Amino acid sequence: MTDRRDFLRTSVAIGGALGLVPTALFGAQDPFLLPPPVPKAPASLNILILGGTGFTGPEQVEYALARGHRVTLFNRNRTRPDFFKGKVAEELVGDLNNDTSALKGKQFDVVLDNPTTFPAWVRNAAQQLRGNVKHYIFQSTTSVYSDQSIIGLNENSPVAQLPADVDPYTLVPQDASRHYGALKVRAEQEVAKQYPGISTVVRPCLIVGPLDRTDRFTYWPARIDAGGEILAPDKPEDPCQFIDVRDLAEFSVRLAEARAFGTYNVIGPEKPMTIGEMLYGVKAITATPGRFTWVPWPFLQEQGIRPWRHMTVWQPPYGATAGYQRRNAAKAIAAGLTFRSLADTARTTLAWHRTRPQAEQEAILRGAVNGLDMKREAEVLAAWYAKAKGAGEG
Amino acid sequence: MPLNILILGGTGFTGPEQVEYALARGHKVTLFNRNRTRPDFFKGKVDQLIGDLNSDVSALAGKTFDVVLDNPTTLPAWVRNAAQHLKGNIGHYIFISTLSVYPDNSRPNMDETDGTTPMPADVDPYTLVRENAARYYGAMKSFSEQEAERHYPGKVTIVRPGLIVGPLDRSDRFTYWPVRINAGGNVLAPGTPDDPAQWIDARDLAEWMIRLAEQKVLGTFNAVGPTLPMQELLYGCKAVTTAGAQFTWVPADFLATHGVRPWRHMPVWVPNSKEYAGFSTRNNARAVKAGLTFRPLAVTAEDTLAWHKTRPEAEQKATAEGTIAGIAPAKEAEVLAAWKAKLATGGTNND
Repeated sequence: MTDRRDFLRTSVAIGGALGLVPTALFGAQDPFLLPPPVPKAPASLNILILGGTGFTGPEQVEYALARGHRVTLFNRNRTRPDFFKGKVAEELVGDLNNDTSALKGKQFDVVLDNPTTFPAWVRNAAQQLRGNVKHYIFQSTTSVYSDQSIIGLNENSPVAQLPADVDPYTLVPQDASRHYGALKVRAEQEVAKQYPGISTVVRPCLIVGPLDRTDRFTYWPARIDAGGEILAPDKPEDPCQFIDVRDLAEFSVRLAEARAFGTYNVIGPEKPMTIGEMLYGVKAITATPGRFTWVPWPFLQEQGIRPWRHMTVWQPPYGATAGYQRRNAAKAIAAGLTFRSLADTARTTLAWHRTRPQAEQEAILRGAVNGLDMKREAEVLAAWYAKAKGAGEG
Repeated sequence: MPLNILILGGTGFTGPEQVEYALARGHKVTLFNRNRTRPDFFKGKVDQLIGDLNSDVSALAGKTFDVVLDNPTTLPAWVRNAAQHLKGNIGHYIFISTLSVYPDNSRPNMDETDGTTPMPADVDPYTLVRENAARYYGAMKSFSEQEAERHYPGKVTIVRPGLIVGPLDRSDRFTYWPVRINAGGNVLAPGTPDDPAQWIDARDLAEWMIRLAEQKVLGTFNAVGPTLPMQELLYGCKAVTTAGAQFTWVPADFLATHGVRPWRHMPVWVPNSKEYAGFSTRNNARAVKAGLTFRPLAVTAEDTLAWHKTRPEAEQKATAEGTIAGIAPAKEAEVLAAWKAKLATGGTNND
């Protein structure tokens, strides 16, 4: 099986030949044909990645291998079976819910824990790993912050507490979404307890890029590439934040190399970006004629349009979500977090999107997972014009 | 089917893109120029004829071509001079004119039927005085269009581009923006984010002209991209950089009172006014119907920036300082500070 990058490269080449991916999309900056060389790390690490085949994981695997590290995966071998077969040193099969025996007796320089939503998973892995690893890097989330109205949330801002009546070691699937932030906080604490003094917590915001099947960013490149009149949320000057999965993954591996401990918000872009800059920036990578119509939030709300779910990436920049897109990542930037250009993120995401099964590509324009159904979009725009016309006549 | 193409010029800005695209499409290419702009730029790849449209076109004597692409002409005499040899020996003449042939920029969406600038009665249309090319630019180009039609009746295509942008453009009239935005910091942005802008990538123009030759499409075409808001241009340029530029949009009248001129200091931008309401909203429907396509802005911006980084140090510095087009950083900072001060004192404006 070809690896993901080969797969994408082939797909792009084929797509180009079929006219699906115009070569003009890439210009001189084709991210697949001209991959930037990755220099080797000063010392090779023996890395265990929990998960590794989802979204952030594959980017960590590829970057770690390119840096000259030895990579072992532990997962159920179910998300993308044998995705890295032959590429990684070892593939250990098990389940963080109930079977971590494959980790028994193994030793690692560093563990990257991607999949954990339940503190019990940290505990279960620690039964084998505790005392056998020198560094534990836990991928948490900015959803740990309990008050998203605060502008400039940093690593010391207040975090969510698990309600007293919830067992912190619950394995009830519904709890994972119901108490998402609080369980991640509790999992962070479990990490600190199991690996005192040798743990790192990374808290990414919205992770975007290739392999993201939540469509929360992908919606915009896909929708904008479809062209026409595009409903845009509220005002172009509203703030937005996101992190390219590759920037996150590469930063995680470099934290391992630097043995950097502590907690880091991992958020992009480096300097403030408005939702207008984001949407026009995405449009700049497409060749499809289109234009944005910015409709004020109160009207969208009346129409049943929801932030994040329908108008992805965007959150109202006031009230309970005033700080949602204005969190602080200064600490991570000082520790070496770097950022790709938006054009790179958007292009690579769109190129990957075009390799998805046809059904997934169609679903995105119906807003099936996230995003807005194009039919509904047209209705909302028509209603907006009708209202504007009424106001004009009144 | 391969064509035998003569390109007048061919080593400036649009020309090299035509040459490369034509060769890639399998055509035979001959260049006629002074061999001065970029000497032997395509040596070994094309036939090179050396001469001067002002005074010596003898190298064209006895040659026949399927099609001529006339890029450099600003003086009608150049068309006439070349025609001394080419008349009767070519099948198709494609002339690069300009949207500057239109004297009236006051109405949006004007198409190719709009009137062109007449030659003033006291000016010899066949003048070879160089200053006349600038002073009567629109009229000279209009008259050159007519000159082409006189020599090659029924065989002429007139292409009227808007602002041509991309790699090899040394006028900085677009290049300023990607370069400035790539430098990061606080960027002075002109007028309102929704002010219209219109341009064309030299490669889109060049490639389309070759396709016009292949299909022997005759007629007159406005060759310009879609009208896009200024914010699309500036934010699109930001998207290809990682410098995190921040934009401050300053109203047109404030810029005017601070000596910041549209186009010259704020490239691409021409503010809305009675006189210029149609400047950035030229109708391009006929060209689009005839196959004109547009690269994504990100590609134009990236390639322009990549090319800019290969320019001699002095040119790069000149761009950064706004010497040819664009605004000097010190002046930019001064205007931004003045605008900030005005906002701080509660000064309201017209937006």
